[in-house]
Amino acid sequence: MKTTPPVKPPRLADRFFKWYCNNASIEDLHGDLEELFFKNLEKMSVRRAKWRYWQHVLSLIFSYALRRRKERSAVHPFASSSVQFSMLLSYLKIGCRSLVRNKSYAIVNIGGLAISGAVGLIILLFIAQELTYDRHNANADRIYRLHFEHRYGENYAHMAATPAIAASALQQDFPEIESTTRFLDYGTYLVRPADSNESIKEEHVLWTDSTFFKIFSVNVLEGNATKALTHPYSVAISKQTARKYFGETSALGKSLVLDSRYHANVTAVFEDLPSTSHFHADILISLAGDWPAAREAQATVFSNNNFNTYVMLRPGADVQALEARLPRFLEKYNGPSKGGDFARLELMPLLDIHLHSQLNGELEANGSITYIYLFSTVAVFVLIIACINFMNLSTAQSTQRAREVGIRKVLGSQRANLVGQFLLESVIITGVGFTVALGLAGLLIPIFSNLLQKPLQLPLTEPGFYALLFGAALIVSVLAGAYPSFFLSGFKPVNVLKGQTTLSGRGGMLRGGLVVFQFVISIFLIVGAFTVTKQVAYIQNKKLGFEKDQVLLIKDAYALRPNSGVFKTEVEKMPGVRSATVSGFIPVDRGSDFPRRDRSFWREGTQASSDNLVNIQTWSVDVDYITTLNMNVIAGRGFSKEFPSDSIAVVLNKTSADRFGLGPDPIGKKIATFSGGRVPDFDHPIFYTVVGIVDDFHFSSLKEGIAPLGLFLGKSDGFVSVRFDGDPRQIIEGMEATWKRMAPGQPFQYSFLDYEFGRMYESEQRLARMFGIFAAFAVIIACVGLFALTAYTSQQRTKEIGIRKVLGASVASIVFLLSGEFTKLIVISFVVAAPLAWVGVRWWLESFTYKAEVGLMVYAAAGILVLVIAWLTTWYHSYRAASADPVKSIRTE
Amino acid sequence: MKGYLGEFEELVLLTIASLGENAYGVAIKEDIELRADRSISLGALHSTITRLEEKKFIRSWLGEPTQERGGRRKRFFELTHQGKVALHEIKALRDELWKLSKTTLTLAK
Repeated sequence: MKTTPPVKPPRLADRFFKWYCNNASIEDLHGDLEELFFKNLEKMSVRRAKWRYWQHVLSLIFSYALRRRKERSAVHPFASSSVQFSMLLSYLKIGCRSLVRNKSYAIVNIGGLAISGAVGLIILLFIAQELTYDRHNANADRIYRLHFEHRYGENYAHMAATPAIAASALQQDFPEIESTTRFLDYGTYLVRPADSNESIKEEHVLWTDSTFFKIFSVNVLEGNATKALTHPYSVAISKQTARKYFGETSALGKSLVLDSRYHANVTAVFEDLPSTSHFHADILISLAGDWPAAREAQATVFSNNNFNTYVMLRPGADVQALEARLPRFLEKYNGPSKGGDFARLELMPLLDIHLHSQLNGELEANGSITYIYLFSTVAVFVLIIACINFMNLSTAQSTQRAREVGIRKVLGSQRANLVGQFLLESVIITGVGFTVALGLAGLLIPIFSNLLQKPLQLPLTEPGFYALLFGAALIVSVLAGAYPSFFLSGFKPVNVLKGQTTLSGRGGMLRGGLVVFQFVISIFLIVGAFTVTKQVAYIQNKKLGFEKDQVLLIKDAYALRPNSGVFKTEVEKMPGVRSATVSGFIPVDRGSDFPRRDRSFWREGTQASSDNLVNIQTWSVDVDYITTLNMNVIAGRGFSKEFPSDSIAVVLNKTSADRFGLGPDPIGKKIATFSGGRVPDFDHPIFYTVVGIVDDFHFSSLKEGIAPLGLFLGKSDGFVSVRFDGDPRQIIEGMEATWKRMAPGQPFQYSFLDYEFGRMYESEQRLARMFGIFAAFAVIIACVGLFALTAYTSQQRTKEIGIRKVLGASVASIVFLLSGEFTKLIVISFVVAAPLAWVGVRWWLESFTYKAEVGLMVYAAAGILVLVIAWLTTWYHSYRAASADPVKSIRTE
Repeated sequence: MKGYLGEFEELVLLTIASLGENAYGVAIKEDIELRADRSISLGALHSTITRLEEKKFIRSWLGEPTQERGGRRKRFFELTHQGKVALHEIKALRDELWKLSKTTLTLAK
């Protein structure tokens, strides 16, 4: 038989009551509670009785009766809450006084916490912003982007772009897909309203489907979101763009002219996309209609990976189940893979794109989760260094507080009271430190916004922000204050009052360990900063296979049509100009307005199959391209006007010549490609004769290797590149005048090739600068801590130094003695930090195909730098202590 | 008038008097709840008792431990002389006011 256990009063309430009452005498009250509970049990359900019990417990806790009993139970006969409160005030007062008395200590602590707090705050803001990317989309959790990874033969690609047909095919085959939309990036456009002659260059122009507004949460201010992009030749423009072209008047129904060719109707005006969107568009052009881009969008063959495809699933649809069916889907449209080839489609959640996607064909350069981790680690490190300062200084300073602790203990202070007192002091310091940090962050934010290329802002109006700040300050103060408060409160009053206040060996060891820790971090960050700087310099000075200096770029040369040839001849006549070339392609990734395109070729005499197809970049250039960029022709010749047959000739780079297997004598051999433009026709190939081979030159970021590439004679007029001698200013003026004559109303924009090239490594340069700043902060905070620490230790050894001097020690030997201790610590730090830094640096350099040599010099430099800085910091106090008059120092007590 | 006596305080004092030897927390509470038909919390009752004790109107002592209440002792209360004086004073005041009343206080049937 089952026996029900006897009903008891609710245990939690019981415990809570006892805990709250502490040692007050409440036997009778507790008895009353229990008696009532059992009486109630006879009248009502157990649950109700328990509930009543709780009510009575609470009523007692808030009652006058209990307050009085607790007061009476306090140790001190006169102890009352008002006395406790005045103790708190006294702690505050003493804490503030000791801060004021030890100004340098206060400044070091508060300053360190303020700087690290500010750095932490800024990094936190940056991270918070990175994490909010694309979250403004109401359906973000149902939106995915289609990625395509494939390998056939030697060609491998993993990209954020797919064939045009993927979207409609997906929609058709998978009922759980609610909607799809595509983007096609055709580069920049020169745009003007129909009634004006002044064109403006638009960087953010995307071609898209009419479903755009259905998938992405973009507010349509004017026009009908569902119909806006359904009509051919229609565009939707952002509010900012509308204002730019049409001022305050409504843009709806007005006409825009793109590249002087396409007349488009404005059918919608939408709210500017937030900065936290992984793509930005000021003009969206409809993919309906018969403009070339639109025709490409209607292709029915599964090739040409130029479209970013987004799908929105129906609510509740299972994305994993869908992904599992993608291989079959791909096989249906792309055919089965053979041999070692493979092809794969995957869906990436919209919210992951910004931080986790670094593929070919991204719409914009994305952020990186690695940097998020990296920066948060740095922020924590800097904060830890500041906390260590606090711990070190408070314990080093303990001699001064020891007597106070002794007296307090004698007068009846419990250890808990003392711990509370010192924690309170830590709270004061962190509180002040964080308040200063807030101001400092406000001052630093413009600098960091600029550095990170992100508009950061302190959310000063949000209460949550303050709660966070307060919480962080509390955590830091406990972290930093816990050890010192236990250390300080642990003094034995007898020893202290007898005058035995020398620091224990263990405390010294711990302080040493903490200093080592600080400098490990500092050295690590310095090595990091050096390495990143070195790699960036290496990239920029590497032999590239072409000459990037002394080349002027005139952008948007297509505005000159049909005069670009005439313009080029005129420019060539100018003094100081060596040669000029017109081409849409320059050896800078993302630098060109013409998106790069691959095309499949095969060697003449072989059958086109996936085994021998080579995807090469096809760059159409003019006859002066190779000479102007100073590329190195290693076999055959460059293009020439003297050979009319060059229109069907190709100049390959070395990599592609090797890929085709053209052998030792490639000149005169032919390669073939399919005809038929967007719809491949393999039966009627076009042949190109190889007339020359150029040495490999870097045309993408040095993170990647060199891909196969072919130069073809053709007309693409993105840039006029001009190689010049001497001062370019006159040439620029001359060219601008010519431009104004030939392309009136079109913007004249120029740049330099080396500058455009450098922009490819902007993120690395930014990282280098950020690392430099953080390393500097870390070193400064650590050194300031070291500075204060030497002050205390040398003060401790005053007598020892006096005696040494009396016995004949020189000032130099004493300085050496005092800084020797810290030298030891820094040597240890170096030994610990070097391998860590080596691993970190190796990991970062992994992402580059071409790596700078990071020799031992970098490590040595970092070590010596830290050592010198540390010496300089400790030198001041060491010297002061060493040069003090021994008579005085021996006399001090 | 020395030592103001509130209405609830008066009620508690009189209940303690009426309970005699057996005046302790729960008994007082139940008696008041029964007679005055109002529900009172333990906290409120003990607060009042504490105040009465501080005004020296009652005194208290702990009884012997019994099997009940988990062996916990009861605290018993008893009126002091001052307590009785205070009750008298308030009764006198009431009686006087009753007599002086110009409105007929008899309840019409």
